[in-house]
Parts: sequence; C-alpha cells; structure tokens
Amino acid sequence: MSEKIVVSAAGLISALGHGVAANMQAIRNLRSGLRYPQHLRTIHSGEFVMGEVPYSNEEMATILNLSPKHHYSRTALLALLAMQELLFATDIDLLRSESLALINAGTVGGMCTVEDLYPDFVAPGTGDYVKYIDTLDCAESTEDIAGFFGLKPLMATISTACSSSANALLLGARMIKQGVVKRALCGGCDALSRFTLNGFNSLKNVAREACRPFDRDRIGLNLGEGAAYLLLETESSARERGATILATFSGYCNSNDAYHPTAPSPHGDGAYNTMQQAMNMAGLKPSDIGYINAHGTATINNDIAEGSAIKRLFGDAMPYFSSTKPFTGHTLAAAGAIEAIFSIASMQQGIVPPNLNFQTPMEELLLIPTTQLVENINIRHVLSNSFGFGGNNVSLAFSAS
Amino acid sequence: MNRPVYIKAASSISPQHSYEAGMLLQPVVSSDNGRLYVVEQDYRKYISPVAIRRMSRLLKMSITAGMQCLSDAGVSPDAIITGTGRGSVSDMEHFLRDMIAMKEEALNPTYFIQSTYNSVNGWLALQTKCTCYNQTFVHRSLSFELALLDAQLTLGEGEDMQNVLVGGFDEMTDYYHLVKDKIGYWKKEALNSLDLLKHNDSGGTIGGEGASFFVLSNDSRDATSILLALEILHKPTVTQLQNAIAKLLESNGLEPCDIDLLLSGINGDVALQDSFDAASNMFDSSTAIAAFKHLCGDYDTASAFGLWLANYILSNQSIPEITLLKQGAGRPVKKLLMVNHTISGDASLMLLGNC
Repeated sequence: MSEKIVVSAAGLISALGHGVAANMQAIRNLRSGLRYPQHLRTIHSGEFVMGEVPYSNEEMATILNLSPKHHYSRTALLALLAMQELLFATDIDLLRSESLALINAGTVGGMCTVEDLYPDFVAPGTGDYVKYIDTLDCAESTEDIAGFFGLKPLMATISTACSSSANALLLGARMIKQGVVKRALCGGCDALSRFTLNGFNSLKNVAREACRPFDRDRIGLNLGEGAAYLLLETESSARERGATILATFSGYCNSNDAYHPTAPSPHGDGAYNTMQQAMNMAGLKPSDIGYINAHGTATINNDIAEGSAIKRLFGDAMPYFSSTKPFTGHTLAAAGAIEAIFSIASMQQGIVPPNLNFQTPMEELLLIPTTQLVENINIRHVLSNSFGFGGNNVSLAFSAS
Repeated sequence: MNRPVYIKAASSISPQHSYEAGMLLQPVVSSDNGRLYVVEQDYRKYISPVAIRRMSRLLKMSITAGMQCLSDAGVSPDAIITGTGRGSVSDMEHFLRDMIAMKEEALNPTYFIQSTYNSVNGWLALQTKCTCYNQTFVHRSLSFELALLDAQLTLGEGEDMQNVLVGGFDEMTDYYHLVKDKIGYWKKEALNSLDLLKHNDSGGTIGGEGASFFVLSNDSRDATSILLALEILHKPTVTQLQNAIAKLLESNGLEPCDIDLLLSGINGDVALQDSFDAASNMFDSSTAIAAFKHLCGDYDTASAFGLWLANYILSNQSIPEITLLKQGAGRPVKKLLMVNHTISGDASLMLLGNC
C-alpha cells in the first residue's frame, strides 16, 4: 500500500472573489456571485446571469504587477491569481529545488482573447496581435504559470471537458505515488468566452436566471469562470517540512459512461460506479461520507442521472449534499479544483454549503439536497463529483487529516 | 520514466501508406505545397453512416486508427489515453467563424460538441463500451508523450490493467496553416517534402497531420516491440538534451554503441540543427540514423507517427530506405532511440527494444 497523499496548500479565484477565505465567507453569507456579465462582450450579456470574476483584465494585471504590454489572456490572469494565493502559503524555493509537476486543465484555453482577434488572425498581413496566436492552446496558461513564478516543473495539460481539473488532481496523486515527482501543483482555469456561452446556448441548456440544481423545475446551467490549484505531496513530505495539512486525498476514480457524446446514462450508472470506486479506494462506506459536493449543473440530464446515482448509492445513509454552482456558475475546467477546495474547506470549518434556489424535488426521485447553511458539524470524509461531455466522470474523496 | 511496456499493435493513418495492409510506405507520397495530408481511408468500417456525415476528418481518422489498432491486437481496452495538440480544430474554426458571421445567433451545436478536445476519446469509449480510465492530454508538442507517460503509470497500477489504448492525433487546416505562418512555422521557399531535411539552413518546416494508435500492455505475448523508457524535456538546452540522453542510456545499462538506430524528429528548421547535431554526435559511426518528418510533416503529435515507424522497424527488422540519413554498421535493430525535436523547443526521448 502506497503512502497517503495530502493536500498542503490551495488557492482559487471565482465569481465569489479572490482567495479561499473570501469564497468561503461568501458561501457562509449566502451571497451568490451570479450576475449579468460586465466584462464579457456578448450580445447575450443582458440575457443570461453568469459567474463572472468581478475584476477586469486591467485590474487583475494591476494586482499581479504586470507591465501593460503583457501577453496574458484572461484565462492565464485567473490562473496566475489562483496560483499566487497558493504560493503565498508555500515555500516556493522548495518547489523550485525539488521535483515538481504542474498539471493544469482547460477546455478552451485563451479563447476569450482569440475570439476577438480571429478575424485578424485569418486575414492577410501581420500585426501586434501575433503575440496572442498561441494563447488558443490550453497549455499556454500552464507555461505562463511556470514562467511567471519561476518554476521548472514537469508540465501537463488535460482537457476532459467539465471533469478536467478533477483529472489533473488524480493524475498528480498518481505521479507522486509512482515516484515520478515529489510534489504536484494541480488544478484548472477557464475564462468566460462567447465561444463557450454560444456553444452551450446552441445546446439550449443555459439558464437565464440563477440555476436550480436538483429542482423539478430546473432551467439549465449558468456559466462561470475561475481558476483553482492544490498542492499535493506525500504525508511524510508535508510533515517533514512542517506544512499544514488541509486534508488527505483518500480516493479517486476516473471512468467513462460509454453511453452518449454529451448526455449521461439516464440512471446514472457512470456516476454511481465512479463514486463507488472512489470510496472503495479510500476504504469508505456510504455512511462514512459526511458531505457530497455534487456536480449539480442544473441541466435536465445531469441532475436526474447524478441524483439517481446518489440515491441508489447512499439510500438511507444519505449524507448532506449540495451543488455550489448557484454560487459560482459552472466554471468548466476549473470546477473540479474549485469544488475540491470548497469540499475540503467545508470539512475544515464544519459547515455544509447550501444548495441555493431549490424548491421542489424531482418527481422521479423525491431527492432533497441540503438547502440551508449547516454549521458546527463534524465531517470526516467528503466526495466531490465532476462529470463531463464525452462521458468523462471523476469523483474525488478527501478525508480530515 | 523507466517502465517497460510492450507494444502489441500499432495503427497509423498518415500522409504515407501506413494504414493499408500490404503496402507499407509504398509508394512514397510527397508534396510540393508545404503540407502533407493523410491518405484518406474508408472510414465506414468503424463508423455508422449517420455519425460519419457530421464528423470532421480528425474524428474519422482518429476513431478508425484507434479501432483498427484494437482489432489488430485482438483486445478490448482497459483504458483509453490520448494526446492532441489541437483536437478537432476544423470544428472549432467552423463554430467560431459561424459565431462571428451570425453574430451569436442560430448556431449548430454539432461543431461545438466535436470541438471539445476529448470528443475522440468519448467516441472511442462509446464504440468499445470501455467504461474504464479515459484521459486526454493537450500540451502542444508533448501531448502524445504525456499520454504515453500516463499509460506507463496506468499499467503500473494493478493486474486488472492489461491493455491500454494510447493515441496521438492532429489535423491540418487552411486556417491553421495561415495562422501559424504568421509566427514563422513554415518554410518560405518552395520545396518537395522529400527534400525537407536538406533545407536545414532556413527557418521553419512543412505542415502535416495524422492519427496513430497503439495498444500497450504488461503482457509480452505477441508483442511487436517494447518501449523501455520515456523522457519528457521542456525546452532543454543542447547540454541538457545530451545529459538526458546519457542518463537515459546509463539507467538502462546501455552504452551509446548499443543503440543500433537513432530515429530523429528533425524537421528541417535551422533552429533545431544544433540540437540534432548534439544528439547525433553522441553516437559513433556504427549507429544508423533515420528521420520521419519529411514523410508525415510536422505537427504537435508527429512523434506518434515516429513511434509507429519505430515499432515497424523493430518488428520487421527493416529500415525503409526513404527514412535513412546514415547507414551505420547495418546491424540488426535491437535498440532504437527516438529523439524528437519540436518547433516549440520541447523534446522527448523514447528508448525501444525488439521482441
């Protein structure tokens, strides 16, 4: 049996603000980050509420002390701010001197920049815009992080739709277990773009108002943006350097629905198996789980599938469960890492984030999520779910250290 | 990482005749317009007529190469792991152009869905009913190498992991060619693709595409070759590249003279010449040297075609004349080192052996 992997630092930015503390305070205050976007330029800006990070690119560049001539896309700016928080709490020299992986995730890279410049890209001639040509790649943000903070890690970038950063986390744990690296910085970043908004809108599953996960009358998802990273290492490595251990990364599972290009299997078989295998790896039974941070996008298909799986797997031992997407919107490649941090911080603080906007259970399931903020409870183990297009499912299990 | 895994089957749809049985690399295909496109195949073998109508070339060639590889190996996969630099870039371009032209109204979701980088993986899982581990890497010219690294990890994780399907794929489009031209990817002068490596005094290369898949296994039975070790190098200096090669050989108990064939990812770009020379100079005259990018063009996952060629050479014990840069001692090819150099400056090493 290999050594325990632990989470020893975290950083994030979302529509709720910059930093884990600010995000958790917003959740405790029941303050959603959804609003009509101020920074995304789209004809739909007065039509759909979104989880937009409340900073302009210029404001983020100022916080990061960048020269006005910088080449960073909004996606990279979000990634740099999230990583900056993590690194404030970490001995960066140690990360520079010992073997390290940086595993990042994205769904559309710097599309937020490319979609504005594409007509120039494909017209004859050249211009200052050419410095943005490579920002389309998801790997651009990964390399931007390493370059900005002076890290020389083994870099990888993953793209498995909405489960991308959850996959980054489990890859990091696997690399450490097999001795490829000593530590891994894992997470993901995505900025709002017209491309993604219109893509989901063409599928007719974007809600105009705040989303209502697990509700009978749910109306689709709200898109969001953000970035989040977690530092993984072995328990002994963290103890050796006197690091604060936030949680044990006790189990994970990546599996595929093999059912349909975009829709989950209606009975949630994929979600069921994924959660069960993550618990098996952690040596946990359903009654051990104190809280599930559900994928809960509030689309018709996801919530019935995930809800069915949760009901079948947990039955009478139903833990607290909620989707935090009514707070942040669906942050796509960042969602797995953001919600992993919410799960861990909730466990540390002894709270359960409420599933906002829930009124009526789905008739098929009569399943009721946690609708009020729960405080002062003892949670030992949490599950965090991320399910995506292409049938890509991931469940992560974290345990109190 | 030094973790030997066996190659049980390899399938490649490329600009050469690499896919059809019985005509491997014959006749050699070339081009005069700075890019090489795959030899299109009959994709109906593995894809339904309904699905095929909407699919981009990338999806068709990737699904077909993947399914053919599994069929050749006679196994069902325990994991599906791929790497791609750009995914279905034609779908992405289509949706983006429509979105701009139609001013964000009345868009077709098919292009959006297929533009997601993991859409090939989703289709392969669906076709094989493989509900197991499924992963997609999108790290530019190291995407395929990262998929291989993950396959090594996966095969190290337990006895129920026996056969992993690993692939690398990218497509060339007119827009992609135009955009990358603006940042100096391509040669300015006209040349025949087969002369690419002789044009090594100017910048740039020629564009290419392809989809190559492999079944990797812990099981040596019926293996065609063995991948002994893999090393991923982010923008190494010439010295760092040499050190990495020396370390890789040493950790596998090998001397440079044990390498029978050096397979190079040299692409004609003058900027890579020093790094190619530095790698080649580590080996004496008995080591043969071959190259492959004049056959497939350069693209983010061209090393997957390189691995297909390496496996072909090791399993057939024959080095195609068109690939040879230096004859060497003409020994049987027992140990092969592939050194890939890329436009982005990243590099990778793959050490292979015969079975």
